Amino acid sequence: MRVPLSWLREYVDFDLSADELSDLFSLRSQEVDGLDRLGVLDGEVVVGEVVEFGQHPNADRLNVAKVDLGGQEVQIVAGAPNPYSGARVPIVLPGSTLADGRKLKKAKLRGMESFGMMMSERELGISNEHTGILLLDESYEVGRPVSDYFPVGDTVLELDVNPNRPDLWGMIGVARELAAILKTTFRIPEPRFEVNGEPTSAYILRVEAPDLCPRYDLRRVSHVRPGERAPLEMRRRVHAAGMRPINAIVDATNYVMIETGQPIHAFDAHQVRDGIVVRRAHPGEEMTMLDGQTRQLDEEMLVIADEERGLVVAGVMGAETAEVDDETTDVLVEVATFNGRNIMETSQRLGLRTDASGRFERGLDPEMVAYAMERVTGLLAWNTGGCPAPNTLSHYPEPVAPWQVPLRLARAELLLGMPVEEGEAAERLELLGCKVGREDGCLLADVPTFRRDLGREADLIEEVGRLIGLENVPARLPGVPLPGGLTPNQKKLRSLRRLLADLGLAEAVTYPFGPDRWIEDLGLDDDGRRALKLRNPLSAEAGNLRPALLPGLLDAAARNRSFGARGGALFEVGHVFEPQEQPEGMREYALRYRLSGEIGLDAEMPAELLTGVVEKGKVAGVLAGNVRPPGWNIPAITAGFFEAKGLVERLVPGAVFEPRPRPFLHPGRAAAVLLDGAEAGWAGELHPDVAARFGLEGWPVAAFELDLGSTEPDPLMRFEPFYNVPAVSMDLAVVVNTDVRVGEMLEAVASLGSPILADARVFDVYEGAQVPSGQKSVALNFTFQAAQTLTDAEVKAELDRISEQLREAFGAEVRGT
Amino acid sequence: MTAAERIEELREEALSAVASAGSTSDLESVRVRYLGRSAELTEIKKSIRDLPPEDRKAVGGASNKATKEIEGALHERLESVAATEREERLRAEAVDVTLPGTPYLKGSLHPSLRVIDEVVDFFVGLGYRVAEGPEVETDYYNFTALNIPPGHPARGMQDTFFLDEGLVLRTHTSPVQIRTMLSQEPPVYVVCPGRTYRRDSDPTHTPMFNQIEGLAVDKGLTLGHLKGTLAAMARHVFGEDVKVRLRPSYFQFVEPGVELDVSCFRCGGSDPNCKVCRGAGWIEMLGAGMVDPAVLTEVGYDPEEYTGFAFGMGPDRMAMVRYGIPDLRLFFEGDLRFLHQF
Repeated sequence: MRVPLSWLREYVDFDLSADELSDLFSLRSQEVDGLDRLGVLDGEVVVGEVVEFGQHPNADRLNVAKVDLGGQEVQIVAGAPNPYSGARVPIVLPGSTLADGRKLKKAKLRGMESFGMMMSERELGISNEHTGILLLDESYEVGRPVSDYFPVGDTVLELDVNPNRPDLWGMIGVARELAAILKTTFRIPEPRFEVNGEPTSAYILRVEAPDLCPRYDLRRVSHVRPGERAPLEMRRRVHAAGMRPINAIVDATNYVMIETGQPIHAFDAHQVRDGIVVRRAHPGEEMTMLDGQTRQLDEEMLVIADEERGLVVAGVMGAETAEVDDETTDVLVEVATFNGRNIMETSQRLGLRTDASGRFERGLDPEMVAYAMERVTGLLAWNTGGCPAPNTLSHYPEPVAPWQVPLRLARAELLLGMPVEEGEAAERLELLGCKVGREDGCLLADVPTFRRDLGREADLIEEVGRLIGLENVPARLPGVPLPGGLTPNQKKLRSLRRLLADLGLAEAVTYPFGPDRWIEDLGLDDDGRRALKLRNPLSAEAGNLRPALLPGLLDAAARNRSFGARGGALFEVGHVFEPQEQPEGMREYALRYRLSGEIGLDAEMPAELLTGVVEKGKVAGVLAGNVRPPGWNIPAITAGFFEAKGLVERLVPGAVFEPRPRPFLHPGRAAAVLLDGAEAGWAGELHPDVAARFGLEGWPVAAFELDLGSTEPDPLMRFEPFYNVPAVSMDLAVVVNTDVRVGEMLEAVASLGSPILADARVFDVYEGAQVPSGQKSVALNFTFQAAQTLTDAEVKAELDRISEQLREAFGAEVRGT
Repeated sequence: MTAAERIEELREEALSAVASAGSTSDLESVRVRYLGRSAELTEIKKSIRDLPPEDRKAVGGASNKATKEIEGALHERLESVAATEREERLRAEAVDVTLPGTPYLKGSLHPSLRVIDEVVDFFVGLGYRVAEGPEVETDYYNFTALNIPPGHPARGMQDTFFLDEGLVLRTHTSPVQIRTMLSQEPPVYVVCPGRTYRRDSDPTHTPMFNQIEGLAVDKGLTLGHLKGTLAAMARHVFGEDVKVRLRPSYFQFVEPGVELDVSCFRCGGSDPNCKVCRGAGWIEMLGAGMVDPAVLTEVGYDPEEYTGFAFGMGPDRMAMVRYGIPDLRLFFEGDLRFLHQF
């Protein structure tokens, strides 16, 4: 809501600077987005009469005027060509400051002195008109300050009105609010006009959809002078409030809307056949609207029509059919209230939001209709010479009346945490328009109909609290009667993130929605699961909810590459989403659950069956390219299967890795991560084709993705005893067929259950010239340890046992020592 | 030449060899040559028993004395030579200390989550627990249960992402509050951090952002408790000197509704060109209020017996303010140039 302060002063007196007013509104009522300055901020504008006007001798595009300022004649250079000898124009004098901050000085333009400036409407803040100088009529007296006629400068308070306060979408409401803050009074203009026009009852009014239209008033104003402009001050105010002045009729309806918050529509009565019908749109009905677009209407949309055609989509926008224009001489004025929700839905379905629809959406006060009708009728009579009809046709079957809300002072003090005096509370509520009665410790407020947001005690308490001032609320800390803390899972998540960061990965937070290519390029659509879709994505590139963290991290890696990174390591902890197939016949229960929270069926029903969505917590990491660049003393670390596996081993102690292909992984470098036999995730190198599709062509990319539940970044520590006698370290190199898995060899060694084997470690795997083709050498190191010093014989016997086990299980031959 | 004369000659020879030896290995050669198993002096000592008894004492004494003297000289010389050699070796081992150290991998934690962790820690310290919930929410939990029924204008304030009918991406973490209240009796003290979604994309809005909401429901809670709690939180996050102020505001699920401003921790309002507060002196920090009685009723709490307060803040924005990050969009691009700064 743009509130021009000069206009506000018409309703309420205040002695505050714009900045003070802005602060006060912010702390007591609504947030202020800013202050907008128009016209001349500081200085003097006087009415001048042009005595001479002609071409500048040294410039084609400039003119020179001699202007009489009321006894003093000055020379002014101007760009605009429209003044003429005898014209009256506004002159801003040197020393004045304009809204854009310019300070005017006496100047020389192309060799000619210029004393001040002739002003356009835009420079005066009247409109955006800037093609010529504003020409004033004979009623403006030469030499008088223009501000005697209208304000030459204005400051506009830009209120960010909360949606529960439609009353503040009008100047009168803002004035009432300010008066309540300042504990003062405000005044409302009293409409005055003679009733001397043609009767409204020459037209009919029929409301066929009363459920969507609580009130509809129609009044005729005849004998309007066609093509009239609104008075300058009205145009100036309409412009300052953010609307475009059009003609005297439209400006009057807009002016009263800004004043009352109530949208008003004017029809050209001669274009209306028989009368006004308020009805739902017919099936298949179309309307070509003022923006030139033809829209298909549906049967839930409310139309203002005559007996033959639709004229307006109610509360949203009209067709050209019966709009007023410069030929209009007879006007039918509509002031109505519509069902807010219906207007909102109509405007959403048509994709058309207008100033009016925004107001109706919030639910307007039907009681405002009568005043707005009187007021606009008066302005039309005043400004166009129109003759108001003696009668108003009105559909208002269920008048609304004030309602009573009790306010217990003790309750107010409890909620606000500060003392609230009865007199103070009552006075504040009265200032807001309530009638207040008293009844032992309780105020009884009759709430005015324009404050539909005040339905309950808590609403009144808020009003009292904010008007007293929230700075008076003392700060206290509650004594929390519970032990707080993180759950084991929440602690685990913290450790997990910290561990990955400590291991050198950067934590990313990426969008969970992405393009179809996410699913297709990963080959995830092959196994029958389709990603969940957003109905209204921001773009086609963001329509799928991620079934895995991987694609977002791959996009991030590619982005880093495109900005010159040689590689990197990223991780993310977040949710992934998968569709859950619903059993047949569930739909109805599912909808009831989603819309009303009722389970309906079995209370033990998993929520996934009702939502159709499985949401899981995952952690994923992506290593791409050179994870660590080479240093002067060490080689690079490059992304590879074992780098990813090493991370998983830290995150999931006890994990078992089993070869298992996935459509997006290198078929020979992909493993399922198993924990206690159940699949907890995967680790592997990205398939080079997939890497290329994600913009990582030619780079090694390794990744993992795990269920959060399977991770144990900070496993329970348990003391293992150790012996203070030297351990014995022995190497053993064996030759086996290349397809023998080293992991299984280690398991076979472990299965011996050697009492003295403390550690077994792989330190070399070799294929090549030194071993027969089709075979590989695996070099193992064993650490033997016992409570007493081991003899060579004991160690040798154990090593032989190991060799024998490997020979039996894998045909392993011990290489020469 | 007598044996004694020979001993004296060897002694002199040896001592001069010791004196001129320049390295530990030279000294070792000298030792072997003059004191070794087959050294002449050793031979002389071995042959003493073959001498006439009257000579034995003199030769024996002289040879022992010479041996001792040579050993002493060797030992002395060895120490000084070894010291010199050690020094030389260390000198040769010097490195260019300005070369970079071995690069251990450096990871990082996301700035928004750092702020979330910090705020959560503060509330946990007060006795709060942390509650979590799904990001795909039902219409009921995201709106209706929060006093935003179908058709309510407040639904229009939040540009919502829709899925299948009745499902949305949660527009705030408030549904977690509902889920928490439905699952337990008062008193409730929880914070709910998490990702939230609104269909909005411009330089100051991203379609996903983080939120931390908090909820306290107990007997006798007032707006004053809300103010005190949030003031303490602001001091914890932004420094001991910051002040807070409440302004009236509107959120459908609280009544009264307020916004909380924090005094600028950078300039305190003294710098009209301050980059943090833009000269306002105050930074808008969060929305809050007393839980609407309709919400308490909806979850089966008696609003006459219990009151509560709720608040919601944006850790992304808090991180922007704290770390001086100019653009919200940077948070969600996974750009290492950004992430590695934290």
